[in-house]
Amino acid sequence: MHILSNIGKSSLLAASIFWIVLLSSDLGMNWDFIPYMFLSLIPIYIICALTILITICPIFWFLENDNCSRQRIFKTYFPIYTIIALGFCLYRVYKSSFDILDLSFYVSAYITTVQSWVWFAKTKNKQH
Amino acid sequence: MKHIKLIIASILFSTLFYNQQIGLNLSIFSVLSLVILAISNTHKFRNKITICYSIIYAFTAALVFIQHTNLSILANIIAFITLVGSVTESKSSIYVQWYNGIYTSIVGYFHRRFINQNIKEEETKKKTIDALHLTKLIGIPLVFIIGFIVLYKNGNPIFNDIISQINFDFINLQWLLFTALGYYLFSNIFSPVQIDSATNIDLQTSNTLRQSKVSSVEALKKEKQLGTTLLLLLNILIVFYIITDVISLTTTNSTHASVLSSQVHNGINTLIASIIIAIIIILYFFRGDLNFFKDNKMLKNLSYTWIFLNAVLVFLIATKNYNYIASFGLTYKRIGVNIYLFLTLIGLITTLLKVSKIKNSWYILRINTRIAFVLLILFSIMDWDYSITKYNINHAPSLDLNYLINLSNNNAVLLNEYRKSTNLNTEQSNRIFDKHRDYINTVNNRNWQEYTYSNLKLKATTDKTITNAYSK
Repeated sequence: MHILSNIGKSSLLAASIFWIVLLSSDLGMNWDFIPYMFLSLIPIYIICALTILITICPIFWFLENDNCSRQRIFKTYFPIYTIIALGFCLYRVYKSSFDILDLSFYVSAYITTVQSWVWFAKTKNKQH
Repeated sequence: MKHIKLIIASILFSTLFYNQQIGLNLSIFSVLSLVILAISNTHKFRNKITICYSIIYAFTAALVFIQHTNLSILANIIAFITLVGSVTESKSSIYVQWYNGIYTSIVGYFHRRFINQNIKEEETKKKTIDALHLTKLIGIPLVFIIGFIVLYKNGNPIFNDIISQINFDFINLQWLLFTALGYYLFSNIFSPVQIDSATNIDLQTSNTLRQSKVSSVEALKKEKQLGTTLLLLLNILIVFYIITDVISLTTTNSTHASVLSSQVHNGINTLIASIIIAIIIILYFFRGDLNFFKDNKMLKNLSYTWIFLNAVLVFLIATKNYNYIASFGLTYKRIGVNIYLFLTLIGLITTLLKVSKIKNSWYILRINTRIAFVLLILFSIMDWDYSITKYNINHAPSLDLNYLINLSNNNAVLLNEYRKSTNLNTEQSNRIFDKHRDYINTVNNRNWQEYTYSNLKLKATTDKTITNAYSK
């Protein structure tokens, strides 16, 4: 899978989770939100791209070689990444006093990065 | 079948925790988790270590119900992580079990998905294509329909009215998401996963130190000389410090809080520095072949002496802390000092064992983390707020009542009894009265999921009449 398509899929996933969590709150479902849902794809795409390019891609770029496959990178570094990411997200949610906007943002960010790792690690195995 | 079990478990999860405070629900959740783990990993539950962790986990679940303290909740969560890690690999060190336990609990589902994709790549590929097609089939028309509805809404008032009448309030999305979270959690722990890299390294690393094949006798002699000189001087210094400390302890007869507090805290800072340096120096000199060097008896004896003298230092600070507690009663900080001193003593003993039994640094890490876990469970048995209040009321010559009032509601009944039996000033009396009233109201307004042992106690004692008095 190419990085661009991974970012695209991640953005759609992040947007879906973000809005589902947000709409589950007291705000409720409102038709007026629909345009904002589509518009929110732009910032979500930018955030996803930055997060993936800064925190996930370098791990594969720097560590992948003939002796170290993507699968091995996943098994070694994914646990560390995911525990740090969860710690960070929980800390931010706690600091925001469980504000629904922050909660939606960090829940979607966490799940998206985790799924993005799986997509990245999966890709190369098919190509090999 | 697996999915049916998980769906039932996740519905129970929502029933227990959705919009509820912690109480009986965490205890029931612990039993539910144990059942799920035991059903899906029956063969692992024949292992003695896993059975032992299961008993500890069940015990902490009972403590959550009985004591209902933050420490008992923390102990329950750590016991859960340890148990899940133990089901993954029971022979690994406890900190690797924590690593595996946390990993399994938070992303076990994603890990298994990734592994399964590699095993059944072709089969999965076929399914992925179908899923992708299905997603397109539903997703794309849905997006366009929603987009056009929004467009048409502005163009026609009747259409707008009809669309506005569509109401999704009957769906409790929050409850559904909470249930999905429960499903995800139980799905993660259903078949625990292992972090191969960390687990394999841990299993291959023994506790015993091995002599290297290439070692220079000359270099070892020099290192022994350096170690002997350093430890000898440090021993002399610490003996001198202990003598002056004993003199200071016997001559100073102050009962001022600030003096006693300063004595304890300065002593603790000295102890922290001394113990850390002591352990680092001992670990450095006994890191390798010096352990097997024939002429190392003097160095070993000096190390034992230094460990013993540091233990004396621990005893002296414990005495100062005891004096402080005897005059001003218990507080969390003073209990914390005692716990720290106890942990330090254990650290010194394990360092002594490492040197005498020629063990490596992994041994120290393994045994100390295991001891820390056991101590956490043991400390969570106590209801500290209640114990501090009881001790201070009965034994402290100088009672800081405001400190006790600011503790959690676990001491409300005790404080209220004290209020009735003693003449307090109006402000303190009112604060205790309010605290007790809040406690009774909180306990009585709990849902069954939030029940704790205090609910049973309240029903059984005369507090019921007090409740009636308050409600009037």
